[in-house]
Amino acid sequence: MLSLLSIEWLKIKRYRTFWILSAMFIVLLFLCNWLYSTGIMKLGGPANQILNSNYTFPNVWDNVTYFTKLFSGLLAIIITIITTNEYQFRTNRQNVIDGWKREQFFQAKWLMVLCMSITVTLYSFLLGMFFGLYNGSPVSGATEHMVKLGYVFILTMNYFGFALTLSFLIKRSGMTIISFLLYAYVIEGIAYQVLKWKVNQHAGDFLPMESAANLITFPVMDMARKMMNNEPLASSTLVGMSVGWTIVYYIFGRIRLLKSDW
Amino acid sequence: MEQILSIQQISKSYGPVQALKGVSFDVPEGSVYGILGPNGSGKTTLLATILDVLLADSGTYSWFGGMPHDAARRKIGALLETPNFYHYLSAIDNLEITAAIRQNGSTDRLKVLEQVGLLERKDSKFQTYSLGMKQRLAIGAALLGNPKVLVLDEPTNGLDPNGIAEIRQLIRDLSKQGITIIIASHLLDEIEKVCTHVAILKRGNLLLQGPVNEVLVSEDQIEVISKDIETLRAALQAMPGIKRITNGDRTLLLACEPSVDTYAINEYCISKGIVLSHLLLRKKSLETKFMELTNDPAKN
Repeated sequence: MLSLLSIEWLKIKRYRTFWILSAMFIVLLFLCNWLYSTGIMKLGGPANQILNSNYTFPNVWDNVTYFTKLFSGLLAIIITIITTNEYQFRTNRQNVIDGWKREQFFQAKWLMVLCMSITVTLYSFLLGMFFGLYNGSPVSGATEHMVKLGYVFILTMNYFGFALTLSFLIKRSGMTIISFLLYAYVIEGIAYQVLKWKVNQHAGDFLPMESAANLITFPVMDMARKMMNNEPLASSTLVGMSVGWTIVYYIFGRIRLLKSDW
Repeated sequence: MEQILSIQQISKSYGPVQALKGVSFDVPEGSVYGILGPNGSGKTTLLATILDVLLADSGTYSWFGGMPHDAARRKIGALLETPNFYHYLSAIDNLEITAAIRQNGSTDRLKVLEQVGLLERKDSKFQTYSLGMKQRLAIGAALLGNPKVLVLDEPTNGLDPNGIAEIRQLIRDLSKQGITIIIASHLLDEIEKVCTHVAILKRGNLLLQGPVNEVLVSEDQIEVISKDIETLRAALQAMPGIKRITNGDRTLLLACEPSVDTYAINEYCISKGIVLSHLLLRKKSLETKFMELTNDPAKN
């Protein structure tokens, strides 16, 4: 496993695009949190702030993880680019010709997804600790709401795994990115409404990306949903759904890759 | 002596197009095995199948008498269809990845780059390479770690005459070291010069296979010209030992029994009062044989 990861690292460590997009993510995430915490930036109208501008423990976790969720799409695109590059350069074939099993190529990419999820979760943790401590709140309150970090991990595994599987299926970078964005911002939204209308209120929460997205909400939105009698599902259900979808991506991608021509 | 590669009844279609139809042959250790065929005959499909890039519809293959395929591939250096590398990485970095996957050859990288003449450009990004340089890098990568077998798909593609001669010499040198080499090509001249065995494919069918000197029966031809072709033809048709007379470009081509040589032809014509203006012994090349086989199945 380590050897697979080290070879993937050899592939990206000198890839400028990877570093630029990663830097963008790191900087943007920090900036947004900073600007929001100092009140310079706001989401929503003046009277009903979506996020609590209170960046102390435990609320800081809500806020930081929310922004992480927002920007995770950027990293999903990195995953897409890295994977579709292999098809474009035909190095997917060459890796197998040189001596990898097809399975190893597949697993190496999922290991990279895992690493990126862990790294993002760690970064969120560091940001949260930074803002919490900076704003002078006692460390004792830190662990409440920290489960949101676990949700970040599950969400990123879901989103990244989805992007990876799309890349395996579509193989061309432009089409994959468009499909991913189209699905995330348009198709799933439509499907959500249709399911809500046709089936029941909660059916839409079972959609692949929705299930993860709903893990990371914030108090104001929760209240709003309660008022509309659309209380979100229990987090354990959502976690189960999200992990389930990730497993589906894995199995589907694996079968496709092992059984098709390269 | 164990077979390096054994292929049994491999068939493969792409939708309605059947690329390979029940192809079987064995590659003996230490041979230089040529796979010949016109474009579209299935050469690359066959090589891709034995390297696990494509999945055959039916049939099997085994390397080194049954070694697991991925372990076998780590002992094989292969170039399939195009040079496949990471465009944004330099030659030496690309080779680092190849060596890491092979679990072998990391210390050979400079040596191999020198062998293919790319040492000066080792730090240039792959995307800056010319076609010939890309091809050389692919051959270099195949040589990493001293593989026991080389599988080369059109290795001279994109190379200038110097490059082609270098590859020919490289193949000869490697063969002397006992390395088995499988080459797919349509450059018959080159194949004829280096191969010990040959398999000929056409439209997915294996037409012939075996040692080069068996498949290539050296049927020499004698080419003659005289002022009156028709008289010449009539006289030669009566001569014993002439198997076949075909028309060349203003010449007659004679396929003869081994007992009939140019001296005999000359003598015979003089005795009939015919004066030849041109008399030439032509060794029938693989090219002619190949063209015959692949253009006219009836003659097979």
